[in-house]
Amino acid sequence: MTVPLLEIKNLHAAVADKEIIKGLNLTINKGEVHAIMGPNGAGKSSLSYVLSGKNGYNVTKGSVSFSGEDLLSLSTEERAQKGLFLSMQYPTEIPGVVVTNFLKQSVNAIRKAHKEPELDSLEFLKILKSEATKLNISQEMLKRFVNVGFSGGEKKRFETLQIALLKPSFCILDEIDSGLDVDAQKIVSEGINQLRNKDNSFLIITHHEKLLSDIVPDFVHIFADGKILKSGDKTLAHIVETNGYTQFLKEE
Amino acid sequence: MDSPLVKDITLFLDDKPSVYALRQKAKNALLATGFPTPKTEAWKYTNVKDLLNTPLEINTDSEVCDGDCCQHHQTEPFIEITFCQGKLHIEEYNTPKGLIITPLPVALYENEYKNYLFNSFDLEKHPFAALNGMYLEQGICICVEKGSHISEPIHINYHQHNCNNQQIHIHNLIIAERDCCLEVLETYNGDTSFPYLTNVVNEIYLKENATLTHYKIQKEAETAFHIALNAVKQQKNSQYKQFYLSNGAKLSRQETLINLDQEDAKAEIYSAYTAKKECITDITTNINHLKPNTYSNQYAKAVLEDSSVACFQGKIHIAPNAIKTSGHQLHKALYLNDNATLNCKPELEIYADDVKCSHGASCGEIDKEQLFYLTSRGIDKNIATKMLIDAHLEEIFALISNEEIKTLFCRK
Ligand SMILES: Nc1ncnc2c1ncn2[C@@H]1O[C@H](COP(=O)(O)OP(=O)(O)OP(=O)(O)O)[C@@H](O)[C@H]1O
Ligand SMILES: [Mg+2]
Repeated sequence: MTVPLLEIKNLHAAVADKEIIKGLNLTINKGEVHAIMGPNGAGKSSLSYVLSGKNGYNVTKGSVSFSGEDLLSLSTEERAQKGLFLSMQYPTEIPGVVVTNFLKQSVNAIRKAHKEPELDSLEFLKILKSEATKLNISQEMLKRFVNVGFSGGEKKRFETLQIALLKPSFCILDEIDSGLDVDAQKIVSEGINQLRNKDNSFLIITHHEKLLSDIVPDFVHIFADGKILKSGDKTLAHIVETNGYTQFLKEE
Repeated sequence: MDSPLVKDITLFLDDKPSVYALRQKAKNALLATGFPTPKTEAWKYTNVKDLLNTPLEINTDSEVCDGDCCQHHQTEPFIEITFCQGKLHIEEYNTPKGLIITPLPVALYENEYKNYLFNSFDLEKHPFAALNGMYLEQGICICVEKGSHISEPIHINYHQHNCNNQQIHIHNLIIAERDCCLEVLETYNGDTSFPYLTNVVNEIYLKENATLTHYKIQKEAETAFHIALNAVKQQKNSQYKQFYLSNGAKLSRQETLINLDQEDAKAEIYSAYTAKKECITDITTNINHLKPNTYSNQYAKAVLEDSSVACFQGKIHIAPNAIKTSGHQLHKALYLNDNATLNCKPELEIYADDVKCSHGASCGEIDKEQLFYLTSRGIDKNIATKMLIDAHLEEIFALISNEEIKTLFCRK
């Protein structure tokens, strides 16, 4: 039997002493695309932070393994270097750090961890230019400070650009569709579909069925009150879209 | 005076009575006021006891440098002036039209410079400038003629290597005549494990419509004391812009005194500094708005590590008739360690109505969200922290429009 890419067992986690993840089980195999849907405040973003090792999101019980390795014992940067990527719901603005420099540092940090030679400025800029063009990101934006003054949609396209450059094996997309106009959502979905292959997996957090018709998931999970209430295929997303979450909450 | 810094002022051989008189005047001022103590208001946060007790010698040799230190490759298009261990390298300056560079020892014998010496500040209010004046000998006079735009920056390069146990006093004059424009860059580099003192006074005169951008990068040795006074007098519609980067010396004080003597004069002071270990960094400004419609803006950003101590005292004085002036100051500090100390003392003395004044200070630690964002992209925590520290200062560097000079500020 092959080792699952991600295996979450009975996960409990707290933020500021408040339990938010309350006994979560989820297994994601290589090449699979999973979607999580759930009401506001259910703990979806918190789950993504727990998986990325953000300070303050404390695991109180349970285990998470990533390619068979204990994910929870790794630092945030080690998780990223091993292929985990979190596209954030609200990407952080970093005044004073220029986009190009940030991306180069990041790409080379990942390459270094993979024992690949680091890219020099010229090589890097060539790759950056071609990926940015595909996502309709202007050269001007690359000279700006990270996320500073980016529109909501630009922030999401910039997150997608990072995925294209870093080529992670496991991506958590936390509401990557929020703030995107119709055309931008198409560009972003296409970008992600291109990265989809038998080795890469995705966990898509969204409120909208539309995204899941563009990036069709293998599984859909209904997430509320810190755990998964129901799992199924893409038809679940349609039920949510039409009837909301009430029925799942009742079933519980 | 019971500090080993004070010596006999007849130790220079070439004395001419008029020069001797200047030195004597400075010495008298120092004797009258004495060195600052912790009770001296202007020096409240910066204790110079350690400096005053360090036996530092005056080097009266005229030849101290074999020229090796100056063999560096000049890549930037700058007009170079070099001081080695405090001694000016006398060379033929290949100056563009409108720029006159005169070594101070020469200028001291020329009447035209007389009115500019000790005229931009009060010797009795600046004890270290008075000490500097006592030893008046080394320095450079930069004079830009009416209407001249000097496109290449003038780089005053201070090589402070091997200044072991010395006290170095340099006195410069910058005179910008009407409608002229120039850029001056000062760099200080030191590398020794012995103490030494760099004590610099720049007297700066900006005539009507003159523009000076003044850059300074201070990277003295960790054992150094660095004390500097920029005293600026500004005429109508002149503009003075200062960029200061400090990341050296065990004790440094950069004091800027600006007299906005005439209407529409404008001064901006941007400072960036990093303080490590137990070093003391002092940035003091005194801005006197003496006429209506004058403008000043000060913005300082600091990165404080270890047990470093920083002091930012900025005084804005607005004279009774100086209506419609505006004076602003802001200081933002980044603490990397709880042991660092920051003393922020803004002082506003406003005697006129209808003025705009503001001051503010903030301090904080590395932003956790930003650090998480960077590390979640695989960047090691220490590199990410470094990036955020640089980012903090970058806001100041981003205001530098000369790209070559900006690169020097950004270089670690
Ligand atoms: N740092 C924090 N401090 C205090 N409470 C927090 C913190 N982070 C999250 N919470 C709380 O945890 C709960 C879950 O928040 P989370 O952001 O994970 O929800 P979500 O499912 O992503 O919601 P949405 O759909 O609105 O994005 C919320 O009640 C939120 O207020
Ligand atoms: Mg969320």
